[in-house]
This record gives sequence, C-alpha cells and structure tokens, in this order.
Amino acid sequence: MPSEETKERIVKVIEVGRTVLHYGWIPLIIYVGFTRSNPQPSLIKLISPLA
Amino acid sequence: MASSPPLPVKESLLDTYPSLRHSYFSPISPLFNAYDRFAFWRADLGLPAPGTVENLQKETKTTHLSNFIFDGARADLTKSLSMNPLFQVTHSFALGSQTAPSSYNFGAIFGSSQVFMQGGVDHDGNVSGRFNYGWTTGAVTKLQAQLSQQAGHNMIQLEHDYQGLDYSLNAKAMNPSPTDGTGIYVGSYLQSITKNVALGIETVFQRPTPDISEMSSSYLAKITGTEKNWIATAQTQGLGVLQATYWQKLSEKVEVAADLQLIAMPNRREAITTIGAKYDLRLATFRAQLDSTGKVSALLEQRFTPTFAFLIAGEIDHFKAGAKVGVGVMIESSSLTPEEMGMPPQP
Repeated sequence: MPSEETKERIVKVIEVGRTVLHYGWIPLIIYVGFTRSNPQPSLIKLISPLA
Repeated sequence: MASSPPLPVKESLLDTYPSLRHSYFSPISPLFNAYDRFAFWRADLGLPAPGTVENLQKETKTTHLSNFIFDGARADLTKSLSMNPLFQVTHSFALGSQTAPSSYNFGAIFGSSQVFMQGGVDHDGNVSGRFNYGWTTGAVTKLQAQLSQQAGHNMIQLEHDYQGLDYSLNAKAMNPSPTDGTGIYVGSYLQSITKNVALGIETVFQRPTPDISEMSSSYLAKITGTEKNWIATAQTQGLGVLQATYWQKLSEKVEVAADLQLIAMPNRREAITTIGAKYDLRLATFRAQLDSTGKVSALLEQRFTPTFAFLIAGEIDHFKAGAKVGVGVMIESSSLTPEEMGMPPQP
C-alpha cells in the first residue's frame, strides 16, 4: 500500500492531467485533423459554422 | 553422455504441426502440438465471429427510434474537411425542448485507419471525448472521458476490446482510482457455440468506497439466423432483470424489431415491450414505434439533397396524455463545395 504522501501526489497528478485533458482535448483533435487532412483546409472554414 | 540426435521427423508430420520446426522448443513440443491440434480443430469448426457484448442489441437499437428521438428544434451543421483521413467538425444547436435546456455543442472527429478521436464541448464548457487506438485488426483500446467544471461530474473509462475468430473479450474500468482501488470494473466474454448460437457472460465488479465491494454477473445469448436476416438476443442483468430482443430484416428496405424488458424484483414487478419498424427509402428513413407504456412515436428523416436533411419527430403518450414534437435540419457540407455552407437553417 502506498504511503499517504505518495497517494496525495498521485491525486495531484491526476487532477493536473484532468485539467490538461479538459482544456487541451478539442484543440488537440483540431490540430491533428488540421495537419493531417488532405487537402489541408483553411482555418476560417474550420471554426465558423457558415463559412 | 552426449545428447541423442534428434529423431528424424517425417516431412508430412512437419507440415501438419508447424511448431515441430522450432527445435529449441522441442522439450515442450507436445504442448505446442496439443495447442496446434486444438487450434486446427477449432478453426475446422468454422464458427463465425459473434460480435461484441456491447453491440449485442445493436440491430434492435438502430431500428427503434428511442436513441434518435428529440423534441423542440435542432440544427446540425456538419462540415467534412477531409475524407481520408476523416476529419469533420459539427456545430449543433438545440432549443425549445421540454426536457433539456437550449444548448450549443461543438464537436470534432478525426479518424484514420488506426486512430479515432472524437471530442465535443458545450456552451457550459463540459468536454466529452473518445480516443480509440487499434493495435491490430481485432484489438482496440478505447478511452472515454467526460470532463466538467463541477466536481463529481467527471467520468473516465478505459476499455480494451479483443475479437478473436470465434469469440470476443472486453475489459472495462470506469473511474478507476489508483490510490484506493475504487471504481467499476466490467469484464465480458462472448463465444460462438455453433454457427448460429453464441453465449456470453458479463461480470461487473463495483467498489464505490474502499470498504464496499460488490460483484454481479449477467448471462447473454444470441441466436443469428443462417442467412443473418434475423437475430434474437437475451440478457439477464442480475437482480431479476431480463431483456430480450428480436430483430428481423423483412426486405432490403424494411426492418422490424421487438424488445421486451422484464423486471421481477421483490418490491417491483413490471414489463415493458417495444415494437418498432424502420423503412429505408431512397431519400428518406422512417421509423415508427409503439410501446406498452402507451407511447406511440415516429421519426422521419427526409433528404432533399445529399447534403440537406429535414427531420420530424413526434411522440404521443396516451396514458399520461402528453405529446412531444421535434423538427430539425441536418446540413452536411464539404470544404470542396463552399457554396453549400451558406445555406440558412430552416425553422
């Protein structure tokens, strides 16, 4: 069984990872999709619903 | 004493049991032989892949409209920016619903042959995400998360799926905590017994707090018609719940499905039956459904052009005297035809 200190550290790491995932997941998909797409779309078409 | 020379092995035997060729493993070759013989025998049976436990009732669920119905008004604007690899973004608007508040949702999907990523964010900042990674054709690791600003609304699920020739295995962990071992863990196994019958088991291990742990198992059965035009499934869900479904493809365009849910607990006894039909016409999909709680519902999805679809949904609850109506538009556009994107959504 890990010690209390290790447990606290694990909980902290998970919390940070969760926050990163929360704010970074959609930008990550858009970045990956944008760079791997064929042909590469223009940025305005990506974000605007009507463009 | 020098080791005796290896016994000459007949060529035909080597062809039958390929593992005999690995001379380093000759001391345990009987095991390999037995395994090979078992594998050959198993392959000779020609059992089909049974599908996955998660998709056991998939045909019934796509025929019924419970998963598709909505009320109020909604508009989905999907933009495909690339086909291979798949990359599309979706803007969804929903308003005027009796049950849910108005919402806006932005979604993005990226998919290649190995990786699938999906993400959505709504106007409150709640993020949902999925990530699938295919190691080989049969082995897929899936990650699913729901992240919210409020504490206690977060969910993360790790899953691994393995599909063999005639069986499928799946392991899931929901909100696993590495510090105290709490969470929900699910393991399931589905095996084809004959060409038509598959049997399976699903075990759920729950540990909401470190002191409480609970385990329950459910059993599954699936019978597929020889021409794959009908499927019957049954599933017990522990504590006296039984769910049975039947799905049949009547013709190329018509599918019907029935679903029976029986609850027989000591303090609660009830049963709900749902029957439904789905018509796939050239430019339209129509679903109609009737259930034993007195609800009649229908959903029409009419495609006027390949990129523009109009949806009408309606439900009447005869016992509670309630009704729900929904209208929606779905506009799909591709970056290759920009003139399609300026089309205003119809009310």
